[in-house]
Amino acid sequence: MLFEKILTRYQDVPGYTGTIEAYIAHGGYQALPKVLGVRPPADVIEAVKRSGLRGRGGAGFPCGLKWSFIPKDSAEPTYLVVNGDESEPGTFKDRMLIEEEPHQILEGVILASYAIGCHQAFLYCRGEFVKGAQVLQRAIGEAYAKGYLGRNILGSGFDLEVVLHRGAGAYICGEETGLLESLEGKRGQPRPKPPFPAISGLYRCPTVVNNVETLSNIPHILLRGPEWYAGIGPAKSAGPRLFSVSGHVEKPGNYELPMSITLRQLIFEYAGGIRNGRRLKAVIPGGSSSPVLTEQHLDVTMDFDSLAAAGSMGGSGAVIVMDDTTCIVRVAEIVSRFYRHESCGQCTQCREGTAWLHKVLRRIEHGQGRKEDLDLLLDLCDNMKGKTICVFSDAAAMPIESYLKHFRDEFEQHVRERACPFGEWGGAF
Amino acid sequence: MPKVTIDGVEITTPGAMTILEAAKLAGIVIPHYCYHPGLSLVGQCRMCQVEAEKMPNLATACNTTVTEGMVVSTKSPKVEKARRAVLEFYLLNHPLDCPVCDRGGECPLQDYTLKYGPGESRSVEPKVQRAKHQVLGPHVIFDAERCILCTRCIRFCREVPQTGELGVFSRGDRSEISLFPGKILDNAYSGNVIDLCPVGALTSRQYRFQSRPWDLVRHTESVCPLCSAGCNVILDIRDRQGGDELLRIRPRENPEVNRWWMCDEGRFAIGALNDPARLRIFLAREGERQVELPLDDLLSRLAREIRHLVAAHGEGAVGCIVSARHTNEEFSLVRRFFLDILRTPHLDHRVRPAQWAEADASEDGILRRTDKTANSRGARDLGILPDRDGLDTTAMIAAAAAGRLKALFVFEEDLVGERGDLPVREALGRLELLVASSPVPTETTALAHAVLPALASAEKDGSFTNFQGRIQKVRRALPPIGACRSLPEILHGLAERLGWDLGDLEPERVWAAIGEQPGPYQGIGWKEWRAIGPQGALPAEIAGKAERAAAREPGSLGTKERMTNVQ
Amino acid sequence: MIPEESRKRFDELVARYPERRSALIPLLHALQVEVGYLTPEAIEDLAGYLDLSAADLLSVASFYDMLNLEPVGKHLIYVCQNLTCSLLGAERLIRHLESRLGIRMGETTPDGRITLRRMECLAACGAGPAIQVDGLYHEQMTPQKLDALLDQLLCD
Repeated sequence: MLFEKILTRYQDVPGYTGTIEAYIAHGGYQALPKVLGVRPPADVIEAVKRSGLRGRGGAGFPCGLKWSFIPKDSAEPTYLVVNGDESEPGTFKDRMLIEEEPHQILEGVILASYAIGCHQAFLYCRGEFVKGAQVLQRAIGEAYAKGYLGRNILGSGFDLEVVLHRGAGAYICGEETGLLESLEGKRGQPRPKPPFPAISGLYRCPTVVNNVETLSNIPHILLRGPEWYAGIGPAKSAGPRLFSVSGHVEKPGNYELPMSITLRQLIFEYAGGIRNGRRLKAVIPGGSSSPVLTEQHLDVTMDFDSLAAAGSMGGSGAVIVMDDTTCIVRVAEIVSRFYRHESCGQCTQCREGTAWLHKVLRRIEHGQGRKEDLDLLLDLCDNMKGKTICVFSDAAAMPIESYLKHFRDEFEQHVRERACPFGEWGGAF
Repeated sequence: MPKVTIDGVEITTPGAMTILEAAKLAGIVIPHYCYHPGLSLVGQCRMCQVEAEKMPNLATACNTTVTEGMVVSTKSPKVEKARRAVLEFYLLNHPLDCPVCDRGGECPLQDYTLKYGPGESRSVEPKVQRAKHQVLGPHVIFDAERCILCTRCIRFCREVPQTGELGVFSRGDRSEISLFPGKILDNAYSGNVIDLCPVGALTSRQYRFQSRPWDLVRHTESVCPLCSAGCNVILDIRDRQGGDELLRIRPRENPEVNRWWMCDEGRFAIGALNDPARLRIFLAREGERQVELPLDDLLSRLAREIRHLVAAHGEGAVGCIVSARHTNEEFSLVRRFFLDILRTPHLDHRVRPAQWAEADASEDGILRRTDKTANSRGARDLGILPDRDGLDTTAMIAAAAAGRLKALFVFEEDLVGERGDLPVREALGRLELLVASSPVPTETTALAHAVLPALASAEKDGSFTNFQGRIQKVRRALPPIGACRSLPEILHGLAERLGWDLGDLEPERVWAAIGEQPGPYQGIGWKEWRAIGPQGALPAEIAGKAERAAAREPGSLGTKERMTNVQ
Repeated sequence: MIPEESRKRFDELVARYPERRSALIPLLHALQVEVGYLTPEAIEDLAGYLDLSAADLLSVASFYDMLNLEPVGKHLIYVCQNLTCSLLGAERLIRHLESRLGIRMGETTPDGRITLRRMECLAACGAGPAIQVDGLYHEQMTPQKLDALLDQLLCD
């Protein structure tokens, strides 16, 4: 089935370079003159609200609603911060947008800034995206040169400065308040909420933090109308989504699809099914922080609510597919190792819990697990959820719970046989 | 004024407040580590989590504001499980150091674990090892294995002395607190991190391995004597077979004086009390030497000398310089002796420039003051100043040098050492009678005809008036050493031999007499001391974040009553 | 001491932000390139420049994986060890690198040429296993492609 490409329509342009000329040539920057100084900012917020756009970074929070939390009459400056810190394992769609269609992001930034009354926006780009930062810097320069950034954009009276800011390697800086701390030149340690960034964000001023993909949708919503947008996919998960599919599939990659698609369709119709003729064993539907699903869940539709009902989450839209050569215990060990490495260390349960989880799982994978370890893991996970400054601790715990839930026998087998049944490499590895 | 119910107790809060502070008002202590009323809030230890009706997740009491009608439980099963879990997480890598850890017996980790924590470990993972007994600076030693990463020490150094020596390095379970390589923890308030650290990670080098808390038999509340700030302290005394010993000095919380802090100089000053150089006997000059003399004999000798000098040269031939290190009660008796009995107008307490009324100032914008004596204000208020046209300190020295002043009593001031700018040696050398008191031998006592061993402030009862005009009790923690007697006793003995009665010597009775006279202390009873006169403002740094520190925090730093910072 | 021309660049960086301290991580990146890695002297100098304590600055620097507080080789190889890349053979690549270069991950070759480091998800999962060499991504790596890459790096 063919769906209209919106965010990735540039892929149909042969030899597309992503420069401002190329972007304009295929229809870019057309929303700006129709909005800036023409439609009131409150109107723009309304439109985004009506479109039903939900955040594409992982939390899925309604974008227009988030914008509407900015106080209308604040004495302090309002900031827009773009979250380009894509680090959720399995996710690689923001990197694609940054490297290949930077101006779509910038157009979204300009429109969003206009809507919330921001005159200085910060583009936080993950430190490892060396090429991406270069592309963005070039694009920003082009936008300034063309008058799409700076003072009195297109004669609208609206001023906007954009600053590109590189991170330095820390997953937790993708958490919005961790990002703000990092942007303020500190350790990326998330802040207690409330207060929320809309009230007290960057430099304690009203701030909106939006994901790269989320902002890329804005020009389209404003150009073609919120009703059009709301009609794409399910009502409560409207609009196109970029699914990053990877793992044991024939055709890994980013797929732009409405969220009415099922997991089965995504994996078997778009990503070419399981490679090497093998069987699907497990699939993570929304990045490593999302609970794992099995073949019994394949017919779930890929919208936020259906995935939640199935016991998982939409998350970042990153789908990691694992075939039957995969040792799930090894998967759990790798996933827990990641959370252990990335914990900021503030909260006791997370700092100690992520390490403990990893140590136990590593022990089980290496054949030194004990019977009591499995229930111990579950209790640890329970003690780690809902009790910390941010949900990183929950993100570490919930996947492990799901591995134990759906593959408990495999863990028990490791304990019983005092070895990994898949061999030294955990099979697929 | 939101009303909140905590564990069934209804509390009306006086204004915007957190759950933890509201609970304090009702005497409910919610266990916590990272929270401290004098430091910024981080809410990261997660110990203080409580259950609030209508909130889906547990809330941290330290940074959740109460709302009208909030109902909170600090004891629900959910809270208990969460608290037990936090303790379990702390204990995962905590070393089994209790037998060798100074904190043992007064440790909030021990206490909370006993009360709320797991009885056994579920972990079979080897404990993480880190560097132990790291000397951070002159006063503090650090054990990284014991650290629970509450970050109080880091926040303190950043927010109070604002020196920022400590930081947490790395991330996640590799996080570790340390100094920047090559630097040391040597700000003037470094010792406060010892009090702040809830575990035995930061401990006192001076106190290391000296005692267990249950061997400290007395915790005397007193005031630091080393400057005019008058920081409130607790003196921890250990009994030993050979005699009680002062082992440790800690700050006592006082929102209006020193808040929760004290400076290192005062904190680590136990050496002064136990200094082997301390004078323990009375000395009299015989030729070139000073020999021991029993007090009775010395007093008789002095009385004779004084009578002789006054008869020959008049009352104006005697002067007295009494250090502002003395108590108000001692001042009262000194004044009675010199002005009323000896009838000399030459009396002063001022030796150093900072002791003049307007000259005393904050030394560092935090607690330390430039006047290094505790009671200049008391001395001023009680008239330890030249009477009528009497001579002040400088003039007395000049008069002595010129041979006009024949006898000088110098109580606890080393004039030779302190006033190198004046002809002190010459002056003192010309005197016919120099009586000097001091805790240790000085260049001044070396010149004296009579040397009196002085008591330390920890060896007497009385009061000091700090720079704010606050009268604060000094309490005796230890008996006088050697043959030491208090200045009132000595003056009483001297007065007796001169045919006078100095009156009651009991500090309480002396104070009563002070209260009866006209003056700034008139009408103030022994039990009603309060601040008088204008209050010096506290610098912002020690005022702590927000004014919520009013309530006391029994048991917040652990154990029984005796560890409590009590007024 | 921060050399004059660097100071001018630093001033420019700082000027972009409403608060000076925001420039801290960009400055650390710049300093790292200049000095090779973040020496204690460099950190202290930067602390002075930003009016922070040295401990504060080190606290921030030590939080981030890309900031090098120890000397690094001429070439820095990051190997993603996260889930998808592991599913696609990252550990094999790691063993290959370690055996070829004679060092473990996290170490630098004795001749100072190459530093190996395990990293987390590089957002290249669609073309994994992925590595990042001196800032450049190399995707769909195999031991053979690694050999070709190392051959280049080692004679450079």
